Amino acid sequence: MTSSSLSLDHSSAHPSAQSSGATSGLGPWSAILLLAPLTLLMLGILLYPLGLTVWTSLYDGQLSVRAYGELATSTLFLKVLRNTIEIAVTGTLVSLVFGYPVALHLAAQPPRRRTACLIMVMLPFWTSILVKSFALVAVFGNQGLLNQLLGYLSGGQVNLPMMFNRVGVVLGMINFLLPFMILSILGSLLALDRRLVLAAETMGAGALRIFWKVILPLSMPGVVAGVLINVTLSIGMYITPALLGGRQDMMVANLVDFYTRQTLDWPAASATAVVLLAISGLLVAMLGRVRGGGLPGGAA
Amino acid sequence: MNPLFGSSAIARRVVTAAAWVCYVFLLVPSLIVVPISFGNAGQIEFPPREFSLALYRQFFTDPAWWGSMVQSLFVAVTTTALALLLAVPAAYALARSNLPGRGLLRGLFMMPMLVPVIVLGLGLYLQFSDWGLLDTTLGVVLAHVMLTTPYIMISVMSGLQHSDVALETVASIMGASRRTIFFRVVLPQLGPSIAVGALFAFLMSLDEVVVAYFLTGTDSMTLPVKMYSSIRWELTPVLAAVSTLLTVLSLLIALGIIALQRKTEAQS
Repeated sequence: MTSSSLSLDHSSAHPSAQSSGATSGLGPWSAILLLAPLTLLMLGILLYPLGLTVWTSLYDGQLSVRAYGELATSTLFLKVLRNTIEIAVTGTLVSLVFGYPVALHLAAQPPRRRTACLIMVMLPFWTSILVKSFALVAVFGNQGLLNQLLGYLSGGQVNLPMMFNRVGVVLGMINFLLPFMILSILGSLLALDRRLVLAAETMGAGALRIFWKVILPLSMPGVVAGVLINVTLSIGMYITPALLGGRQDMMVANLVDFYTRQTLDWPAASATAVVLLAISGLLVAMLGRVRGGGLPGGAA
Repeated sequence: MNPLFGSSAIARRVVTAAAWVCYVFLLVPSLIVVPISFGNAGQIEFPPREFSLALYRQFFTDPAWWGSMVQSLFVAVTTTALALLLAVPAAYALARSNLPGRGLLRGLFMMPMLVPVIVLGLGLYLQFSDWGLLDTTLGVVLAHVMLTTPYIMISVMSGLQHSDVALETVASIMGASRRTIFFRVVLPQLGPSIAVGALFAFLMSLDEVVVAYFLTGTDSMTLPVKMYSSIRWELTPVLAAVSTLLTVLSLLIALGIIALQRKTEAQS
């Protein structure tokens, strides 16, 4: 819902508002008065803490980039950065591989059935990430539903460790990411001209060929946007690796928390946060170029 | 007939199977907490061996649990009220004035959605430890107001876009003051969009955990923070009851938002 409303310029959408500006437009002073409170809040509670973070990363008695230098040589930081990239890429790829068929399935349904299926996709979107994490442990944990079933079927032979390790993080990640991927691809699929598919079929193309030559290329904008949204969301993930991962699966956000609370090294925490901010800023800018819009919220 | 797959039955079956695996994977975690929550108080079990309300009794008799729930509801209500007071006038001013630099301001107002929450959590932690606002309700509320205003702005600005500027012009020609126009002409038309934004902000605040985890302590702990540490350290079955309550509440709010959005679409 957010992207379309974000990208439109609200005043130019109403030419009548411009032409009658003298009578219905808001005077500059009233406008300033109405905008001031929120602007002050954003300066004080958003830009100030961000600035303070940058400052903390650069200042220890004097201005220096020592905190960054230490990060660059810290095995912990480099390992965590590698984890983050690995997990974000794995999560995004799995979410793409499974999300694409779901989008295809949704696009092929008649409108009423599509709404019913979409509700199943949107339900987790509305569910608290904590509820989902708890439930995933209950399903995939060592004593969980799935392992109970496996144990019963195999006579107690099989017990798959699927929680508190890399598998757990990725499972939690794709559970969170899939709706964003599906909705993004679905948008492209619903926009494509189905007569092209019919034409390809009339000319004798098989299902796979139609998919590779017609459907996939035409849905690329949705795929690219979905991938960028997924990577952006997963790169800053905190709850999922903390609750579903093991010690080896720490991600950048968890490292920020670790430096802040465990080692009380605020310059290191701030420098780590600034690195994360820079990476995600870059991704958001790329997304903006692809879609000319913002990011649906809800990063946890 | 299904023009997306051509006429291949195999392709259709593969896609359908993959899609249903995903539907189940997406649905089950949101639903499985319900049967677990009516189970025995001793341990997390599915399917539960006996039906009981013991977990709910445990939740409502433990002050640490229901106290944090009351705190969360208080924070969410206060946040929503303050965010509305700040965001609705600002959205109106952005949409109806020719002030230079509006694009920049809009970018600033949307920024909380684009910055990773962990970065905001750390920044606010540093700031509030300077200002003595750590572990205070005021601190969490301020942070949540900042986090939720973008969603109200988006909803209200799209409402303003669909509302009829001509009515405001007419009211102005008839001699109505700016204030009268805002309260008698603009606000009534915006009702549903404001309600959508408010519900969204309420839910966001109620579910928000990362920033609250940085800012709260024993005195101001919200429900998500309590749940987070409980999942992390003890994994008590009470969590199933809490989760069920939260999920039901989220669903009610989601239904409310969908109903209101239908209404606005029907209007325009």
